Amino acid sequence: MDLIRKKRAEAVNRIISKGYLSTKRVYVGMATCEIAAGSKEVMAVFQDAIAKGLTDVYLSQKGCAGRCNLEPTVEVVEEGKIPVKYGLVTPERAREIIERHLKKGEVIQEWVI
Amino acid sequence: MADKQYKLTFCDGSGCLKNHAREFRQLFEEELRRHQIQQNVQIHLSGCLGMCTKGPILIVNPGYILYGNLRSEDAPEIVQEHLINGKPVSRLIIQEDHLYNRFFRIFGDSEFFGRQMRIALRNCGVIDPEKIDDYLAMRGYEALAKVLTEMTPQQVIEEVKKSGLRGRGGAGFPTGLKWEYTAKQSDPEKYVICNADEGDPGAFMDRSAIEGDPHTVLEGMIIGGYAIGSRQGIIYIRAEYPLAVQRLKKAIEDARREGFLGERILGTDFSFDIRICLGAGAFVCGEETALIHSIEGARGMPRPRPPYPSVSGLFGKPTLINNVETWANIPVIIIDGADWFSRIGTATSKGTKVFALAGKVRNTGLVEVPMGTTLRDIIFGIGGGIPNGKKFKAVQTGGPSGGCLPEKYLDTQIDYESLAKAGSIMGSGGMIVIDEDSCMVRMARFFVEFTQDESCGKCTPCREGTKRMLEILTRITRGQGKPGDIEKLERLGTMIQKASLCGLGQSAPNPVLSTIRNFREEYEEHIHQKKCRAHECTALLSFVVQDNCVGCGACKRVCPVNAVSGNRKEKHSINPNLCIKCGQCYDACKFNAIAKV
Repeated sequence: MDLIRKKRAEAVNRIISKGYLSTKRVYVGMATCEIAAGSKEVMAVFQDAIAKGLTDVYLSQKGCAGRCNLEPTVEVVEEGKIPVKYGLVTPERAREIIERHLKKGEVIQEWVI
Repeated sequence: MADKQYKLTFCDGSGCLKNHAREFRQLFEEELRRHQIQQNVQIHLSGCLGMCTKGPILIVNPGYILYGNLRSEDAPEIVQEHLINGKPVSRLIIQEDHLYNRFFRIFGDSEFFGRQMRIALRNCGVIDPEKIDDYLAMRGYEALAKVLTEMTPQQVIEEVKKSGLRGRGGAGFPTGLKWEYTAKQSDPEKYVICNADEGDPGAFMDRSAIEGDPHTVLEGMIIGGYAIGSRQGIIYIRAEYPLAVQRLKKAIEDARREGFLGERILGTDFSFDIRICLGAGAFVCGEETALIHSIEGARGMPRPRPPYPSVSGLFGKPTLINNVETWANIPVIIIDGADWFSRIGTATSKGTKVFALAGKVRNTGLVEVPMGTTLRDIIFGIGGGIPNGKKFKAVQTGGPSGGCLPEKYLDTQIDYESLAKAGSIMGSGGMIVIDEDSCMVRMARFFVEFTQDESCGKCTPCREGTKRMLEILTRITRGQGKPGDIEKLERLGTMIQKASLCGLGQSAPNPVLSTIRNFREEYEEHIHQKKCRAHECTALLSFVVQDNCVGCGACKRVCPVNAVSGNRKEKHSINPNLCIKCGQCYDACKFNAIAKV
């Protein structure tokens, strides 16, 4: 039991050390259904942006949340703020999310689920 | 922020009421009126949320901010700070100890998620499925540690029995009993199997569960292995799920590295390992005895039971076989307790069930709801109703083994018994909504075509019977139905049900029998009047140009067989002898002048 608590604490530390808390967290849904809907391309846009110097973002993937007709989905979570989940994200929309939401902090209301 | 729509949920369970929840709510509502923001806020009441000691409870969406232990003086603060200034009052937010429902915290999508309760899917869409760290952070493998250090195998079985969990693969056998039978066998060699051979058309619960949170399934299986005294687990998964297989493989490797799988798990004397077995996608291999044959390398065919797999299963050894969703429930039962789990649901069915909601419904997707939720709540509440203003016709549950339920059954509560009583089954969780544009005969024909294709051929009634049923149904949809066909279908169906060995055969006629029972008039129309009211059966359909035709010629241009004739600005006509009923003219007409009759 102690061992598992230790393991959990270590895991949490590892996650935090990857920049979990300090930044905006972006999650892209990546299950078979979402990949079919085009989430790989969306993921690539975010990866590309980070490679090109977008900072303060923790990018991660997730399984299917069950919102099939609105896939691909992208979620932006910020500490202390209400999380935002975008539906039907295309690579173009992803680029706009980076520009408007991640860089300028503007929530793009019309795409929010 | 005052223009933002908030949704407030007040717990109205008796525990909270004892803590003056109602008085708090009245005060809160007054406060809303005082600030004149009551029109921006939607208020729901909920039944007991199971957090009675922390009442009164208030949940604010979006964001699933959970407030507890509220006093009357807190109301103005929440209204001012959270609802008006948009800053949640952290002093009053409470943390849940439970594993379930972590989901809502992250989403504002309360119409869809607010009515659900997520236990098996608790981490799906919340964590990164390829990182064991994420799972550990969500108290992953804590249930395993608890079981290994604090519980005897017998206690684990008792806990599962007490929880009232029943098999989520469809048949609903009590899971705890199955564990007990397998544990009682004296053979030192035993196997644990996870049945991930999900084959129902339109069902994807297991795939999503594995792709979203593979470690939960592993943890459940390891606990199962400990409870029955097994060293080897096998996940039987179809090869059509490459991503799920890949994530499972990664999860197994990670779990081995962290010491959750392999020799001497977490430093105890218990050793257990899991391997993956790929299935070739035969529907019948979801049946447990056929699945076992398939793992053994034999042809996937069922065998008579008893002996049940718990006595003589894989390689003749006692085998514990459960469905993905069942396994995913186990860690929650261990951590949150059987008492808590058995409070959810109905008298005979406990916990939650995952459904793959599909078909003619606004929000398609995966939903997990407590047992006892009505079909209406799922379809019109979570699902958002039927799109395009169409009328609801039926809901098909349980895939090719299930039945179609018409509107009068919409208020049926979901549990194993009530669905069976209504003439369908729980099944593994496929749920297809059908609107008025779908023909029930074709629907039945589709499912029989599927089972006919998937019948392994061992039993004559199933092999030949489904073939004959398919022939009759095909005839009916082609307008060649004969009087007496319905009775023949009923007779054949009952015979197949009675004389087949396995679940596939026994349930294959269900889609036909249930549609005959509930939509007999549609069958009769097809046979006697040669009419399909949904206009889906092309043989019973013709396209006619109506008087409001302006003679634009759009239909004429798209017709591939030149069946449309007529001069410009005059009414056109369609030659029924040439028409192949492709429907292109119908789509091309901008004046709705072409009708299906």
